[in-house]
Amino acid sequence: MAEAERSTAQAAWQEGAAKANAAYVRRRITIDPITRLEGHGKVEIFLDDQGQVERAYFQVPELRGFEKFAQGRPAEEMPQITSRICGVCPTAHHMASTKALDALFQVTPPPAARKIRELVYSTFMVEDHALHFYFLGGPDFVVGPQAPAAERNVLGVIARVGVEVGQRVIAMRRRLRELITLAGGKVIHPVLGLPGGVAKRLTPEDQARFREVAADAVEFAKFTLGIFDQVVLKNTDYVNLILSDAFTHRTYYMGLVDDRNHVNFYDGQIRVVTPDGGEWAKFPAADYLQYVAEHVEPWSYVKFCYLKPLGWKGFVDGPESGIYCVAPLARLNVADGMATPLAQEAYAQFYATLGGKPVHHTLANHWARVVELLYAAERLKELADDAEITDPHVRTLPTATPREGIGVVEAPRGTLFHHYQTDERGVIQKANLIVATQNNSARIAMSVEKAAKGVLSGREITEPLLNMVEMAFRAYDPCHGCATHSLPGSMPLLVRLRDQQGNVLGLLRRDLDGSLHRE
Amino acid sequence: MFSYPPERLERVATRVLCLGNPLLADDAFGAAVAAALPGCVPPEVEVVRSEVTGFGLLDDLLNTGRLIVVDTVQTETAEPGTVYCVREGDLRTAPGPSPHYVGLFEMLALARTLRLPAPQEVVILAVEAADCITVGGAMHPAVRAAVPLIVGQVASIVGEELGSVPPTPSWRSAA
Repeated sequence: MAEAERSTAQAAWQEGAAKANAAYVRRRITIDPITRLEGHGKVEIFLDDQGQVERAYFQVPELRGFEKFAQGRPAEEMPQITSRICGVCPTAHHMASTKALDALFQVTPPPAARKIRELVYSTFMVEDHALHFYFLGGPDFVVGPQAPAAERNVLGVIARVGVEVGQRVIAMRRRLRELITLAGGKVIHPVLGLPGGVAKRLTPEDQARFREVAADAVEFAKFTLGIFDQVVLKNTDYVNLILSDAFTHRTYYMGLVDDRNHVNFYDGQIRVVTPDGGEWAKFPAADYLQYVAEHVEPWSYVKFCYLKPLGWKGFVDGPESGIYCVAPLARLNVADGMATPLAQEAYAQFYATLGGKPVHHTLANHWARVVELLYAAERLKELADDAEITDPHVRTLPTATPREGIGVVEAPRGTLFHHYQTDERGVIQKANLIVATQNNSARIAMSVEKAAKGVLSGREITEPLLNMVEMAFRAYDPCHGCATHSLPGSMPLLVRLRDQQGNVLGLLRRDLDGSLHRE
Repeated sequence: MFSYPPERLERVATRVLCLGNPLLADDAFGAAVAAALPGCVPPEVEVVRSEVTGFGLLDDLLNTGRLIVVDTVQTETAEPGTVYCVREGDLRTAPGPSPHYVGLFEMLALARTLRLPAPQEVVILAVEAADCITVGGAMHPAVRAAVPLIVGQVASIVGEELGSVPPTPSWRSAA
């Protein structure tokens, strides 16, 4: 930033601060990106009269009216409806909804159908985790948190890793999506899942295509783990950042595990571990309301999930607080290991390097995601090699009267619950979804506050400092499926200084080059 | 070895990509335009409807010479129903707070950087929306009224030669 601009920004800030202090005890900063559509996240930071961060809030918009929209619709439409609500990970909603229908109609899919579902889901997880590592998480680690804002993007990542690696990622993505289309009918909105099974069997020819791609996916995942090792683990600054206190919380963790307590994305029981790593609960999805409750704060329309038996104790961590965390790091923390050999090796190295279980460092999510990528690829290969997967018996027809069904999967960003209640005709009376970002919302809020207190208190607001606050929630990959663009002359980021009545007392804008300007 | 496969290289001259989720109130605008376009544009113009964001958009951007994007925007500086016509170069990508904030322009940039078959020309036709987050919500009357206006704009643009869209960086008019 040019010195003149810095002076202007400082002057604007100081002027606003002086006005605020003269009239009000507290003042508020809003980090508010201008968005295209579908809502956006926003950070509100309240300062005391000494310029110290008093509280910081992270706000996520939620879609409105879903429950009302679902009412009166046949339950069997839900896998298609819910997959259309989210433009980012429709396959996860489709699968959670399909499993809720199994429970609703009290049917168990035949073994081949169950394996086909997990095959498709593993394919989806490989694709999603790979894209996240290279192109979404990459800007923070591959490019670097201190890099100019204009370089912390997809193109900055490619500039670091090379065009050929980028092409390899995109080529793998295309092949994986072709497989999802092959088995799921459509890649964007699969029509695979039915209560009691799947719509289509897998032929030996289909299986051969899966086997070919699965073998390459394992090699691709190994290659990716090598990239992570070279770019991140060999960089002391990055490792120190992962381990830093500003990005650490000692919370509970939640995730699905199989009958050997290994990570599983598609099925199993939900396991919760304490901040010390001990098992606190293990329960089937149907019991989730005994363990999960939602807290409401007056300043946000986001519901904050917490562990019901522990109660809501505020935005604090530790064994007395019911705040928990989901997503890749949480899944590794709740598991005793990985079900596949190469992923198990990576899992062991993860904990050996980071000081044993559980790991409480939020930024370790990026590494955990690569470990899971390897597991997803290996699991894909196992299922593709399974002779039973071509069994033509892929549907158990429902005969029971429906009433209530709960389904759960591990979406890329964490545990996803679908819960439906119907009348005896199977028409939805009530629907409830808890998505990954809701599960994480309390911990995300804590992360934002801790980072804000750590980096902003009493200091001049600069773009790198704002980015450090943003990194606190970026590691969770909070799910707002929208893109962010500005029209000519518009500003991509605003920092507003407000009084408690909402009057703007000072305004800074951060431009694409990271410079701050006075409004 | 890792380049885009030859079998996916069949190109169309013009694709109209109508974005938005028909379940989300004004975000249904793109789907409404897509439904109204057949018969208003020559049959060789490909009309595609898409509800996805992020990397899911990549497939819809490739293998066309000219891409016309129909979408909603919320600048909150204009009345609902206000329409915009801008070229790709008129917009700037803003860094979002989440890695999920990747969209059309990041995907165009990615495609070009990776030497994928990206469009030579991109035109964006958008309408100012009032509400894009209410599931099952109705479109605002002014947004709905903009559907024929945008259809007319698309028809006008596809009647032009490639590269002959007026060079004005942006214009807008109340619907």
